[in-house]
Amino acid sequence: MDGVKKFNWLGWSACALLLCLWELGSRAAPKLQLYVPPISQVMAALGQLALAGPIAKHLMITVGRFVEGYLLSAAIGVSLGIVLGYFRIVHSFLETLIEFLRPMPSVAIIPVAILALGIGDSMIVAVTVYATVWPILINTLDGVRRIEKILLDTGRTFSLARRQILWQIILPAASPYIVTGLRVGLSIALILVTTAEMIAGSKGLGFFYPRRRTLDEQRGHVRRYSAGRGPWLHAQSTVSRRRSEGDALAPRRDRAGICLRCSPGD
Amino acid sequence: MQPRRLNGVLFLGALLAAWEIVAQAQWINPLIVPPPSRILRIFWEQVSSGQIPAQILVSMKRAAAGYFLAAAVFIPLGIFMGLSRRIYSLFEVIVEMLRPVPPPVLIPLAMLFFGLEDEMKIFVIFFSCAWPILLNTLDGVRGIDPVLVNTGRTFGLSRLKTLWQIVLPAASPQVMTGMRVSLPITLILVVISEMVGSTDGIGYFILDSQRRFKVAQMYAGMLSLALLGYLLNQLFDLVYRRLLAWHWGMVRGRE
Repeated sequence: MDGVKKFNWLGWSACALLLCLWELGSRAAPKLQLYVPPISQVMAALGQLALAGPIAKHLMITVGRFVEGYLLSAAIGVSLGIVLGYFRIVHSFLETLIEFLRPMPSVAIIPVAILALGIGDSMIVAVTVYATVWPILINTLDGVRRIEKILLDTGRTFSLARRQILWQIILPAASPYIVTGLRVGLSIALILVTTAEMIAGSKGLGFFYPRRRTLDEQRGHVRRYSAGRGPWLHAQSTVSRRRSEGDALAPRRDRAGICLRCSPGD
Repeated sequence: MQPRRLNGVLFLGALLAAWEIVAQAQWINPLIVPPPSRILRIFWEQVSSGQIPAQILVSMKRAAAGYFLAAAVFIPLGIFMGLSRRIYSLFEVIVEMLRPVPPPVLIPLAMLFFGLEDEMKIFVIFFSCAWPILLNTLDGVRGIDPVLVNTGRTFGLSRLKTLWQIVLPAASPQVMTGMRVSLPITLILVVISEMVGSTDGIGYFILDSQRRFKVAQMYAGMLSLALLGYLLNQLFDLVYRRLLAWHWGMVRGRE
């Protein structure tokens, strides 16, 4: 958490202890195994699925949608945020609309998207974009509006062109806010992709996982494990190389330039 | 401020009027986009017949249970993790492992253990609210000015008193930030969990309306959800300002 530091023996051993308890507990109670198979079996199933391929396939589909939606919303959110933040007049027109739409939980848009776009990739990406744009937009907007007027005025005094002001003053000055927005958006995009897949998908982790729920509990656990671990793995790339599904995931995310740790509502 | 507000309201009005005209003229499929006047009428019907309020009440019960349960568990945990290095390192790895799990992915697991009942939704909400609350509390406690704690010690305050009278108030702005971040997450998760596995609640209401092609009713549900989100935000602000009046006074004093 605080950058480089020494290995957390206590924490890892607490974690290992919990995993041991899981293993022993579910081995001791066969009835419980239906719900919680021993961790060793879960890991074995993960390895099997990773080798057999379906998990990687679904993972790639989910990641593809995620990356597409996320990059789109970053582009839309940042550019719109800068426009709204810089031109007060535009903001004054859209303010009420934004205030009205923002508090609505973004998942409520899924039914509308299904009606309008059917149940394909485009629906899932559209929903992801809708939800992810908000934090990015609001943070960028905030960041641009908080730029000290002196900075802008100085730029103008030196008769910088509009474009130069944008690139050399606005973007750097607002970048901490923009990054915060991008970071919050990361977790929201992941939530929305999986949710949309659960409700109306035919491929991807969110779909694959509940469908298999009734068939094979172990696989369900595996799915949860890899879906959650993906971004985490990526953030700690040394760990990710050790795990089979991380290999499929890491390079793609790298290319997209997303290197922030992702957590719901961070 | 006043003319700016007017601009916004006018623009929204113009947008709605345009929508109404386009929908009435049937330029776009009326099945997908009914006119706003119809949506409002249905909304009013559903509200006055008690259908929407009943669904919202069901959802809010679940949301409140998960939200406050998370606060009750994770604020104390955050305080202890912030105060003690050892407790922090004990939980750090587990927290870092669980935190990145996207909450909707837990729904199937929660269904397995809790079925389709309220407990499932409460658990999912609880889990997803946990991290912002925990991490913000932790940050808040760690960021306390040591002078405050040392002053307390100089005056010979007991541990318990230090906790109540110094640590808790000093960390409370950050704790409230965590609670604020969790608020929309709660709302999102209650809707998701009701869409995926439920027979009542506002999330189910919206998805069900869509599946039965009662499109205006679906929009009415979304409208009520937007209003609900707005009201909750306002309510939170009110409580926030009341509870932390002293904090705002301090901030103003510094400026």
